[in-house]
Amino acid sequence: MKKEMLKTSLILTAYTLIAGISLSLVYTVTQSRIGSAELENIITAMKYVLTDENGNQVIPSTEIEKTVTEKSGEMGNVIYTDGVGTVTSPVYEYENSGVKYYVLSGYAPGYGGNVVTMASFKYDGDELSLYAIKVLDYSQETPGLGAKIAEEDNQKRFYPIPEAGLSAGIKVDKDAGKQSLSPEEAKKQGVVKVSDVMTGATITPRAVSNLLNAMYKYLREEYLQGGAD
Amino acid sequence: MSSRWKEVTKGIISENPTYVQVLGMCPTLATTTSAENGLGMGLAATAVLIMSNVVISAIRKTVPEKVRIPIFITVIATLVTIVDLLMHAYIYALWKTLGLFIPLITVNCIIMGRAEAYASKNGIVDSLLDGLGMGLGFTLSLTLLGSIRELLGNGTIFGIKVWGKAFNMFVMILPPGAFLTLGLLAALFATISIKKNEKAKKKANQQQAQKAGEQ
Repeated sequence: MKKEMLKTSLILTAYTLIAGISLSLVYTVTQSRIGSAELENIITAMKYVLTDENGNQVIPSTEIEKTVTEKSGEMGNVIYTDGVGTVTSPVYEYENSGVKYYVLSGYAPGYGGNVVTMASFKYDGDELSLYAIKVLDYSQETPGLGAKIAEEDNQKRFYPIPEAGLSAGIKVDKDAGKQSLSPEEAKKQGVVKVSDVMTGATITPRAVSNLLNAMYKYLREEYLQGGAD
Repeated sequence: MSSRWKEVTKGIISENPTYVQVLGMCPTLATTTSAENGLGMGLAATAVLIMSNVVISAIRKTVPEKVRIPIFITVIATLVTIVDLLMHAYIYALWKTLGLFIPLITVNCIIMGRAEAYASKNGIVDSLLDGLGMGLGFTLSLTLLGSIRELLGNGTIFGIKVWGKAFNMFVMILPPGAFLTLGLLAALFATISIKKNEKAKKKANQQQAQKAGEQ
C-alpha cells in the first residue's frame, strides 16, 4: 500500500515537473517576442493618433518608433487620477513646426472592466485641443453594444474637440441632453454625439469621455504648469 | 474506415457536446454574443481539444487511476498556457481578439470530459478524430448560437447587415438571450433525436411484422 502511494505520487511529480519545464521553456522563448509585439501595437496606435485628416502623419514614423522604444521602460505607472479616469506614464511629447503634440494613455471603468484609450492633444502654446483618440482595449464591453466603440467612425465622434469644449468637460450627448446636435456641432461644445450610432450603450463612451477629461486636467493643471509657454 | 468517419461526425448532431451532452456551458453562454466570437471560441477550443486528446491518449497507460484527474488537468492547463504564449508572441492581432477566451478553455469541461470519457480509453488516432469531431460540433453549436443572438440582437451575422435596427432586441445579446436561445436550440436537437428514434422503432416494428407475416 505504501509502495503504491509512493509510486503514484512520484508519477504525479514527474508529470508536473515535465509540465513546469516545458512551460518555462516556452516562456523564455516567447518573452522577448511578446514584448516587441506589445511595443509594435503601441507604435501602430501612436502613428494613428498622430495622423491628420488628410491621412498624413504629423510626426515621422522613425521619430515615433525611437521615442516609444526609449520610453518603454517607464510604461504603465499611474501618474494622475481624478477618481474616474486614470492617466498612465509615460507622456510622449512631439513637436512639428512650433506645434506640440502630447500623447497620453490611460483607462477608465466601462461596463465590464477598464476601457484603455490612447489620445493625442495638440498645443500651439496657447490653445490645448484634443487631436485624436484610439481605443486600445474594450474586451470587457458588451459585443453589439459597448464594443461598438471599436468602430473607427464611432471613435471619430470623440475628436477633434477645441479647448472651449475640453474646459467645459467632455460629455456624451445623452448626459448633456443635447441629442439634437449634429456630430460636428456637438464637438465644438465638448459633447460627444454617439446616441445615434451606439444606441443603448452609454457606459462605454462615458468611460472614454471621463478618461479624456482626466487627461485634459492632468495636462492643463500639472504637466503644462511651470512655464511651458 | 466508415467507423472512423463516424468518430468525427457523431459530435455534430447525435452526440453534440453543447445541445445533447450539455457540456461546456460556461464559455457557451458567455462568449456567444456574436457569430464571430462563437466561431473564435470554438476554433480555439478545438485546437486545444485535439492536442489534449492526443497527449492524454499517448500517456494513458502510464497514468495511475487514482491521480488521473490531476494529471489531465496539468496536461490541459499546460497546453492552454503554451498556446496562449505562442499566440501572444507570434499572431498578436488574433490573440487580441481571442485573448479573452483562451484562459477560459482550461475550465471548458468538454476537454476534461473527452479526456476522461474517451481519450483515456482509446488509441491516439481515434482520440484525435474524436477531438476533431467534438471540436467541430462545439464550434458549429457556438457559431449557430452566436449567429442567432447576433441576428436577433443586432440585425447582423458576422457583422454583415441582414435587417434594420427596428427589429433589434437587446436582450438577445445580454445574458438572458443566451439562455433563451440555448433552451430553444436544445429543444430542437432533442426533437430531432426523438423523431429519429421513433422512425427507427417504426422501421424495426415493420420489419418484425414482415418477418412474422412471412412465417
